[in-house]
Amino acid sequence: MSTQTARRPADILVVDDNPGDVRLTVEALRDGEMQNSLHTARDGAEAIAFLRRKGKYGDAPRPDLILLDLDMPRMGGLQVLAEIKKDAALRDIPVVKLTGSQEIEYIVKTYNLHANCYVTKPIDLEQFITMVKSITNFWLTIVNRQRRTAN
Amino acid sequence: MSQMLEMNQQTAKPEAMADESKQSKELFRALFYRSPIGTYIVQNGHFRLVNRQLAYISGYEEDELIGRPSLGFVLAEDRDIVRENALRMLKGECSLGYEFRIVTKQAKIKWVMETVAPVLYQRKRATLGSLMDVTERKLVEERLRQSTLEIQRSNAELEQFAYVISHDLQEPLRMVSSYTQLLAKRYGNKLDADADEFISYAVEGAKRMQTLLHELLEYSRVGTRGKPFSLVNCEHVVDQAMANLKIAIEECGATVSYDVLPTVLGDEGQLVRLFQNLIGNAIKFRREQPPQVLISAQRRQHVVTFSVQDNGIGIDPQHSQSVFEIFRRLHTTEEYPGTGMGLAICKKIVERHGGHISVQSQPGKGSTFYFTINMAGGESA
Repeated sequence: MSTQTARRPADILVVDDNPGDVRLTVEALRDGEMQNSLHTARDGAEAIAFLRRKGKYGDAPRPDLILLDLDMPRMGGLQVLAEIKKDAALRDIPVVKLTGSQEIEYIVKTYNLHANCYVTKPIDLEQFITMVKSITNFWLTIVNRQRRTAN
Repeated sequence: MSQMLEMNQQTAKPEAMADESKQSKELFRALFYRSPIGTYIVQNGHFRLVNRQLAYISGYEEDELIGRPSLGFVLAEDRDIVRENALRMLKGECSLGYEFRIVTKQAKIKWVMETVAPVLYQRKRATLGSLMDVTERKLVEERLRQSTLEIQRSNAELEQFAYVISHDLQEPLRMVSSYTQLLAKRYGNKLDADADEFISYAVEGAKRMQTLLHELLEYSRVGTRGKPFSLVNCEHVVDQAMANLKIAIEECGATVSYDVLPTVLGDEGQLVRLFQNLIGNAIKFRREQPPQVLISAQRRQHVVTFSVQDNGIGIDPQHSQSVFEIFRRLHTTEEYPGTGMGLAICKKIVERHGGHISVQSQPGKGSTFYFTINMAGGESA
């Protein structure tokens, strides 16, 4: 932890087709002590374009953390996860699967595709806020990771 | 019988033999021609002798049938069944009671059941056949099979429906619930008293709906997400249920005890849930004194009957059936919290295990819940 005392603000990519959920994540991170910039993609195709800096995402930063929803139109969450984890340039970015589903088969599939963790969105607001803070705190502060910048 | 005949032939006088032979012929004629079963003799694939009942079943006259190929009126698709059984008969194997379809003279299709046996007719090999019209029974069977399929299909559809509803409604509900909570958090005490009250009702309603959906989801999962049955030690199951209820048990100073409980064939997770719901209810619906819960089991042949007895408030006998219905509550949420799904889930779990659940109770004197588990394994669906 001591190695990251003066860390730069983290870039978090939230991939979710539900604006309500994106906003909740923004709200949860808002009163955090960390300075983070939040980027959003509304579906899997947009997320991949962002990560590969395609089209309008030419200047997109390399995220330090990806929060990925499961059910999305166009490219589903599992497919996005598979894309990221087979790409040598992207696979070290922690991907947190954040969904409303507790279906055991999705959980198993998610870990088999090398997601860094699977979290169910709590219904209770306070729990949701705590969850988002814990995740960002864990992946951006507690764990030791070589954070790469855009090259 | 044939041995007796041989002995008679050796010892009897010629006139007695003639007499006997005449009697046998008459007996044969009576049996053959008056039988309520279609009876016939086939030689080289053609009818040689037929009775009136066969004519009646096939729609032909008796003399129309004589000389016709016997396979002729068997429905083309079913002829192999008849050929197979004829071969089996020739090999001396069992060939009785097989079923196939025939086409009558009036082009009507009938289901028949046939039995064949090798005989000698006019000193040559022949087949003695008997045939019954089973069309009525087949129709009833088919109707029964159809309605069973229909019931299974509609049950599966209902379960799927309940599952999809409860699963897919959770997402929008999470939005309602989160944002009403966010409203309460950010604007509570900043608007007027009315606003605070409205917001608090919205928050409560969303929370309650969430619990209902959660329970409905669990209910539908009993059928759709159950585990295969294995041998389960019921004492471990009850221990686990009690561990899950540890806080509630300690808070009210409840005593939960059990007799020797058997090992049964079942879904362990569901059995834990079953005991947990029943013990949980026994504790929840208590009177002034600390709850006492006694669990015991009795085995009779393949069926184990469990009982969960408490000293709680009891249930009016008029509700002893309806308490197992979904969302059935006998009290307001202020008196006792809950969704009214607990016993419905119990019932579904017990039924999946091939058993029944019931309750015997008197208000103010406690309740005893009984349920059975079929040792031969349930899960008929």
